[in-house]
Amino acid sequence: MRRIVAQARKELTQIVRDWRTLALALALPVFLLVLMSNALSLTVNELPIVVQDFDGSTASNDFIDVFRASITLHVVSWPVDKTAEAALASNAARAVLIIPFHFGRDMARGVNAPVQFMVDASDANTAKLVSAYASQITSAYTQQVGGTQAAPIQTAIRLWFNPGLSSTKFFAPGIFVLGISMFPPLLAALAMAKEGEQKTILQVYVSSISAHEFLLGKIIAFMAVALAECLVMSLLLFTSFGLSFAGDPTPALIATILYVFCVAAFGTMIGAIIPNQAAAMQAVAFGGFLLVYLFTGLIFPIENIPAGLRWISDLVWGRYYIEIVRDALLQGGGWTAMWFKVLVIGVIGAIFYASAWLGMRRMQVKA
Amino acid sequence: MTKLLNSLFSYRLRALLKKEFNETRHDRKLMFSMTVMPVVQLTLIGFALSAAVSNVPLAIVDDNRSPESRELIATLTESKSFRLAGYYSSVDQLGDAVSRGKADAGMVVPYDYARNLARDRQTTIQFLLNATNANTATISRGYAESVIQRFNTGLRNQGIHVRAQPNAGSDFARRGQVQLQPAFLYNPGLVDSWFIVTGVLGLLLILDSSLICSAAMVREREAGTLEQLLMSPASSSEIIIAKITPLFLLLFLMMLAGIGVLKLAFGVPFHGNIFLLLVGGALCILSGISIGTVIATFSKSAQQAQLLCFFVNPPLSSLSGALNPVEAMPKWLQPFTVLNPIHHFATIARGATLKGSGFMELWPNFLGLLLITLALGSLSVWRFRKQLS
Repeated sequence: MRRIVAQARKELTQIVRDWRTLALALALPVFLLVLMSNALSLTVNELPIVVQDFDGSTASNDFIDVFRASITLHVVSWPVDKTAEAALASNAARAVLIIPFHFGRDMARGVNAPVQFMVDASDANTAKLVSAYASQITSAYTQQVGGTQAAPIQTAIRLWFNPGLSSTKFFAPGIFVLGISMFPPLLAALAMAKEGEQKTILQVYVSSISAHEFLLGKIIAFMAVALAECLVMSLLLFTSFGLSFAGDPTPALIATILYVFCVAAFGTMIGAIIPNQAAAMQAVAFGGFLLVYLFTGLIFPIENIPAGLRWISDLVWGRYYIEIVRDALLQGGGWTAMWFKVLVIGVIGAIFYASAWLGMRRMQVKA
Repeated sequence: MTKLLNSLFSYRLRALLKKEFNETRHDRKLMFSMTVMPVVQLTLIGFALSAAVSNVPLAIVDDNRSPESRELIATLTESKSFRLAGYYSSVDQLGDAVSRGKADAGMVVPYDYARNLARDRQTTIQFLLNATNANTATISRGYAESVIQRFNTGLRNQGIHVRAQPNAGSDFARRGQVQLQPAFLYNPGLVDSWFIVTGVLGLLLILDSSLICSAAMVREREAGTLEQLLMSPASSSEIIIAKITPLFLLLFLMMLAGIGVLKLAFGVPFHGNIFLLLVGGALCILSGISIGTVIATFSKSAQQAQLLCFFVNPPLSSLSGALNPVEAMPKWLQPFTVLNPIHHFATIARGATLKGSGFMELWPNFLGLLLITLALGSLSVWRFRKQLS
């Protein structure tokens, strides 16, 4: 036990002494959390649209005013002598609303008045959002002016868990997980690979410390780093992002302990298997960043990944933790919904620890 | 020809170029990570990152249990947008299923649904959406509304006419309905991957070129051979040009491979001039190389350079509009995309492929890339010279 503590202390001292690693460990995750959770959003505000009004009647002006009042869309001016497509081609607008001649007359007569809405679909997701917004605005307008026929079925739509549709509330927990999945293992892998690269591992072998004590000491040190990151970032989540525990926080707390063990063990394992700092860094960038970024449902739902690749996400540890954190902060499903995911994180952590131990034994043979 | 070359390149430069080409050619790992890896990454990201919303699991509480309510449920669940996640007997159970993640949407049909319709009275159904993911929620809300709107039209055609409630704000008793007819330009099939892969191509170009270039620049210093180079009569700009040229060619090849992936694996249409895409890509690579050079002048070892790349690249890639629209970023961050080479390249790539835009529309982005490259390039030459002296 004493030897484990000593080993952990030595690692922490090394981290504190190098300002670059310290900044990487504590400042960068916070920086990324603030930046990315704001920047990753897919829901748009003030999307520029151009209106071409060929009618110029009171009715058409009323209709355009409804679009002007929208928060999501932002009507920009466009010279009348240029075609509507040119506005899309030059990226001046994302959509064009074209009101034909006779629009006002048709409306007054009670005839259906067609209006064209051209959307730049090179970004398919935004195109879908914009056309959904535009049809919502249009139906609200039709209801307001009292169209001749009311809809037989009305839908009362309720948005649960995030009624303000705030994207940051969804992305911030994900970036929190990304930060913890990336930086502690990076530091752990660098520290472990350095032992192999500079052959200081030989000194460890001849000392009285056992392999388990050595590994645990290292892992505990980087768990401390990861927990410090967790603390700083959750402070940010609870204050500036306005999140709070939606239900029972114990699954998330226990999962956090297991997850920091899991990522610290992952980094140590990479460092033990690849005793080369540059290569180890690339391996962590792949496992800690790319896999977590792509296969955890961080930005886009996992169901969207084609079935041939989707199984990869079952193996990615970050996926389970993201689900637990989002559940704890947004949905509040508690133990009944989450116990299995907590268990999986523990199992994956144990596998990483075992492979780190095996990797260290192999390193001993080589050295 | 040789005469021309001689006047263009000094003998020193040619010798340096030869050295760098040989070094690059012999670096097997570099060759591999420059040709195979980007293709794999582009394919993986293009397939894995998709914002498409389809088959949203829909839980249902049907308190009516009539042929009419079953027809409504079938219309919703038979669409590609929703799939049936199960029937529940009470609203509480439905809420439980949504919060456990078994369903992302829920619909409650009231007990008097069929009766109200039969009496030409308006009836309200409740629709719950898990809004944790704002994007998915907004899109599935749009789906639900359009499916029910179409269902309503069908009901009207069957002769169910509900009297409108008089609206206080309306001046006219009779008014027509506005029919919004959306037309999706450039990508009528709404293929999600086209947007992602055209953006990610620029992202990979910048990431790889900055990483590789910083490593190549630092290697000489780490090995201590930089002093030998400096002692030679070659000037510092000659050293830099010789270092950059083979990397540039390699990265250009990588871009060609990437464009091949866009065309063959994702079927991105090439409506515009391919030449614009190539020139934009070349400028993008150059700006990535200058980012790498600047990073290299701030670090003493390859490892420090790599760590510094960790500070520069994530913000650069997440604030580029490569994976999501620029309008989705906070207002105060949006102007900064002007300084981002990935943003300019993504705009050029989308313009030249999907939109078929010409130079007339894209020149601001070319100018932006050019200015970024020149600014960073001169910064790196200046820093490099200062370090040498």
